[in-house]
Amino acid sequence: MNYDLLRLTAGAVVTIGLYTVLFRENKFYRFCEHMFLGLASGWTMVALWTETLQTNWWEKMIGTDRAPGAWAYALLLPIGLMAYLVFSKKHNWISRIPIGIILGLWSGQQIQVWFNTYGPQISASMKPILPTTWESFIVPSATGLSPEATAAIRQNVYPSQAITNFLFVLTLLCVLSYFLFSFDVKNRVLKNATTLGRYLLMIGFGAIFGSTVMMRFTLLIDRMYFLWWEWLREAVFNIR
Amino acid sequence: MELLAQANFWLEPAGSPALYTKLIFALLVGFGVIGLLMVAPPAARRPVVAFATFLAGLYWVMLYLWPVPIAREPGQLPRDGVESVGFFLKDINSDVVSFTVILTSFMLGLGIYSLMRIHVGRIRRHHEDAFFSWVLIVSLLLMVGFGYADWSSRLGERSALLELRDNWGFVNYARDFLFEGLLQQMDAAMFSIIAFFIMSAAYRAFRVRSVEATILLATALIVILSLMGAVAFEWDEGVARMANGNPLLLNLQLTEISQWLRNTFQTSSLRGIAFGVGIGALAMGLRIWLSLERTGGSA
Amino acid sequence: MSIGERLQSIPRWGVYLMLILVTSVPLFLPIRVPNKPVESTIDLYAALMELPTDKPVLIASDWTKSTRGESQGQFNSIMRILMRRGINVVFYSTGDPQAPRVYQDSMRVLNEERAVAGEPPYERWNNWVSVGFFAGSEAATNGIANDLRGAFRGRKDFAPGRGLIDVFESPVMRGITKVQDFPVLLVITGSKTSNITVERVSGKTPLAFAVTGVMTPETQVFYQSKQIVGFAGGLKGLYDLETLMEVGINTDNPNTVKSEKYGSIPGFPGQKNDGQGTRYYPTLHFAMALMILMVVLGNVGLLLTKSKGRR
Repeated sequence: MNYDLLRLTAGAVVTIGLYTVLFRENKFYRFCEHMFLGLASGWTMVALWTETLQTNWWEKMIGTDRAPGAWAYALLLPIGLMAYLVFSKKHNWISRIPIGIILGLWSGQQIQVWFNTYGPQISASMKPILPTTWESFIVPSATGLSPEATAAIRQNVYPSQAITNFLFVLTLLCVLSYFLFSFDVKNRVLKNATTLGRYLLMIGFGAIFGSTVMMRFTLLIDRMYFLWWEWLREAVFNIR
Repeated sequence: MELLAQANFWLEPAGSPALYTKLIFALLVGFGVIGLLMVAPPAARRPVVAFATFLAGLYWVMLYLWPVPIAREPGQLPRDGVESVGFFLKDINSDVVSFTVILTSFMLGLGIYSLMRIHVGRIRRHHEDAFFSWVLIVSLLLMVGFGYADWSSRLGERSALLELRDNWGFVNYARDFLFEGLLQQMDAAMFSIIAFFIMSAAYRAFRVRSVEATILLATALIVILSLMGAVAFEWDEGVARMANGNPLLLNLQLTEISQWLRNTFQTSSLRGIAFGVGIGALAMGLRIWLSLERTGGSA
Repeated sequence: MSIGERLQSIPRWGVYLMLILVTSVPLFLPIRVPNKPVESTIDLYAALMELPTDKPVLIASDWTKSTRGESQGQFNSIMRILMRRGINVVFYSTGDPQAPRVYQDSMRVLNEERAVAGEPPYERWNNWVSVGFFAGSEAATNGIANDLRGAFRGRKDFAPGRGLIDVFESPVMRGITKVQDFPVLLVITGSKTSNITVERVSGKTPLAFAVTGVMTPETQVFYQSKQIVGFAGGLKGLYDLETLMEVGINTDNPNTVKSEKYGSIPGFPGQKNDGQGTRYYPTLHFAMALMILMVVLGNVGLLLTKSKGRR
């Protein structure tokens, strides 16, 4: 039997098997689900060894004909095995040590992460909200203009840009006030800002929803293409 | 440069008795520490965990805050204590990263061990779902077997030849069948199932009952329309014909409206969310690092 | 049952069946959708076309076939651009243990495509090298940002006829000592590893992303603050890339994409530029239209039910 036909047919069968859950849970779905878990876990084991541990730990520890062995790497085995004591009723607290190390390593990076991520964003949010020129309400087109004329346009802030920038800054501050002032505020300005922030937050959520819909439908379209086109049309009926 | 590569105490020639001696010594020390921890008094538990957490986080905090060398010449020595610390922090960076990656790999194995434990337990107890547990374990063993065999087959001189399918043997085909033919297809199917749930949920629950829901729905609609290139094209063409070159009216094109909404409201509101979440993450990070966070249950 | 209640009570199996139909039937119709690429993808394409050809590019390929619908097409388009320009590539992954196998298999398929087109294959070791998977994305990315040689130390890849050899011996890695030596770090991902990369590598080397639809709004925030030079978001971003590969920017092609920011940047006319984006994008319209229809039906049903209740 043609290998590609076998492979694609197997893929189609398990795809349909997983889709049967849309109607109701059934044994075929559970079979596919357990096979999926088994294969994924098995591959994780292979990849962890071949991609990471074999070169990054084992060979560094025992050395090769080109490099000496760094014996201190052996200490990582007992530390890693401490995590497996989570199954012990008496000694499960020891598993918190490697977890604590990983969490500590993560949390220690957060200061750097915060400034790397939000520093440029804070700068980029400082937008001019007052126009510098009233020559034109909207930004003139730079098409066909000389570089000097283009630069002159870019260095101005036109009224439409100022309004846009003001709305940007207002949205940012209102959304921030909604997050930061989660306690009951008495001040009317803050109260209104928090309420406005909640409404403006919905714009961000609406954008996330729209993009998520695009992504999930694309994944479904891809599965339909696999079933109808790659498997049925090309592999089974050999129509290319 | 890797600190462990510099000092001879930490390195021994591969296969040498000295290396094996030190390896055994390290393992004995490590397991000895576990033994000590097993008999440690309960009062010592929290400080031990807190100390390990603090020490781990201290490295990255110091690397960020301490002056570290930027343009260091090979063989350059530190001039004073501050530079000594800076050089040290920079030198052990790759070791810290290696340790983290290796430790994380061991802990990923914990999830797999837990899975095996549950399903082997079901088989031994003759659970009614033992058949599915067998399916899981057999799939896992097949993938481990053929995955490792496929990788091994590429270790030798045939590695370049095996880039072409014509040169594959049985183990290569078997690995490809399990990975590409089954695992990847099921992975894709699992993710795509969510599309059905999104559609069903949107139909049943997405109702204009409040101001917030209306804004969310309106924004989602504009985003969805702007992602539909055909709709955007027709809309823009219609506006272009109507505007007749008027730059103000050309701003009514769907692509311009969606871009303006995206750059003005969407980016700023998401940035506000990100700032809020970021402040929370920073606070949480500091609390974890300093062991101020009580995660439930005591050490 | 009133009309309003009927509109809100379409059975689940009916909704699912309609969705299957609208995502299947259009795949067989020869529809071509006009397209206007967005600024972020134009910037990504321009960045890829302006890369120097004598330096390798670092790619974090963190996707698997779970997001094949978008990520596979993005990977293929980006690799086609780099291959056609003769730019070498260094791959690594921090997102998923399956990812290295996926990108290696994808490179094999792309090489089969090149063989059919009569082009020389992109050889492993000589043109591209795989550094492998790093468990712990945060630490690994930090290591790459601070000490690339240290992070990649001990990593091996398959050299032709020699088995596993240290990656730094590959011709691809010649002259590379730190992440700043790469002209760009590209992240092709189906998860949040793009965010992790910005958090740790930002400012050291230019960053460019190809992300799935769900990450597009977040990535837009980074793009707006110029932390990344450009990105392709979701299927729309992929279709934009394929369009740009076909018609270029400010070229003589009548359908060329116009941009005031750039001069003339060519496409690859006469070569295979169509891919998943071109195949799936028309079908996406029907699926989105069904979504809009279902939401409208539900709300109209609610309005009718409410107005009937008031009467």
